[in-house]
Amino acid sequence: MRGIKFLLAVGTGVFIGIGVSTLISIKEATARKPFTKEDLKLMNEELMALVKKGDELWHSPKLGKNGLTCANCHPDGANSNPHTFPKFQDNVGKVATLREMINWCIKKPLEGKELPEDSEEMKALEAYAIYMYRGFPLRPGDNTREYPPVKVKSGPGYP
Amino acid sequence: MKITRRKFFRVSAGAGMAALTATAVSPFLGVVNVAEARTSKKSKIVPFRFVVVGDTHLYEMPNHRFDKTFKRAIDDILKMRPKPDFVLFIGDLAQFGKVKELEKGKKFLDRLKRAGIKYRIIPGEHDWYLDMGKTWKEMFGRPYWSFDHKGVHFIGMNSILVRDYWTARNMSPWERMLAIAELECHICGLWGVREKQLEWLKKDVKNLRPDTPIVIFTHSPLWDYYPRWNFQTEDAPQVREILSKFEKVIAIHGHVHQVVYNKTGNMVHIGNLATAWPWPYPPVDLPYPKIRMMRVDPGDIFDGVGFASTFIDDTFLGKMKYETWADLIPDEIKDGVPL
Repeated sequence: MRGIKFLLAVGTGVFIGIGVSTLISIKEATARKPFTKEDLKLMNEELMALVKKGDELWHSPKLGKNGLTCANCHPDGANSNPHTFPKFQDNVGKVATLREMINWCIKKPLEGKELPEDSEEMKALEAYAIYMYRGFPLRPGDNTREYPPVKVKSGPGYP
Repeated sequence: MKITRRKFFRVSAGAGMAALTATAVSPFLGVVNVAEARTSKKSKIVPFRFVVVGDTHLYEMPNHRFDKTFKRAIDDILKMRPKPDFVLFIGDLAQFGKVKELEKGKKFLDRLKRAGIKYRIIPGEHDWYLDMGKTWKEMFGRPYWSFDHKGVHFIGMNSILVRDYWTARNMSPWERMLAIAELECHICGLWGVREKQLEWLKKDVKNLRPDTPIVIFTHSPLWDYYPRWNFQTEDAPQVREILSKFEKVIAIHGHVHQVVYNKTGNMVHIGNLATAWPWPYPPVDLPYPKIRMMRVDPGDIFDGVGFASTFIDDTFLGKMKYETWADLIPDEIKDGVPL
């Protein structure tokens, strides 16, 4: 009997040991330490650099050929409604993403050349538009109305 | 039929009851107004129509899309029968205040003159900040003025004057212009008419009777709409105070490129469309949300833009009709917005 008890105890100990080590390894594989404040700051700086680049492009006539900029019709990104995409755009004639809509604007009102959809310029324009609608709930497909952007008191509209 | 204050006034005056009824009708009317009402004679206004056009934002390059929309507006104005008594250009003829842009604009306007239609003009910020209004003044004269027409006193003022944002930043004239050409310019500060014009305005209206019909034109609204985009005039409260002695003032402004309407005290305010492009509505509540334009098709250069014809009747009731080329104006105000 003593021998059996011993074996059981050892067996149980091994089993628990394997279980615990498995749990530890799973934990190590699926979770990380939270980002430090420093990490978050750096990541946000990267985003803001892209937003700033987007702001500059949004206000630059170089996207088009007739001197117009995105900001002619969309000051502070107004009425770009990024939170309503994807949606059916009657001028594009299909369900369009925000990037496709940006390209439509560059081609038509600005009479310019479309940007590659994965280009840095396109990402920057998209980042600026979305940032000016921060905090808005997503409303994909919403063609019911135009939304003004965040209310800006001073500065460019972002930190 | 709704009896307006002015009509009611005249009826009461005729019945010799003005002193009693006028004070009861409106809190805006003081003793002086009542005294005037008692003596008010038959209206001196001969009904007429004038046109408001502006925010053409012409670029230097030839055959630009904004040339086409301005041309269409001028063509339409020339076809109007009866002819409008005059045309008021409400600012932003040019996009960057360049000589060539302003010259191009003047050529368009001179078509009116050749057809026997006089025009008056006030500046917008886009006309001004490249050379601080030098070219504009050489072409069009003084940027603030008044005149009387068929019983109405018309006033035009330059409302786009800002404090110096360029010297300390060491900006070139071109940089100064580019900055303010952005609606959301966040270094330019608030616009206003400033002290000199306020003094001029005081003198201009000093000897006018309170029942004189007044129409005032400014590029920017004379009420606080959305200061972020200079949809405001910083010293508008002073302008409104100077004009507060009048029974009624119609204030027409450009700059907003949209249908918008408001009332402050004795003033009705109305915004004009651009011929260039429409601006979105800003993130604030509209005082009269039903008086707004509909969604615009950005693929059509003739959508979202236009001008206005304004009719003034013999009782100084006005009606401003937005003249457009697309389905932009809701049915309720298609025939005009009562002023």
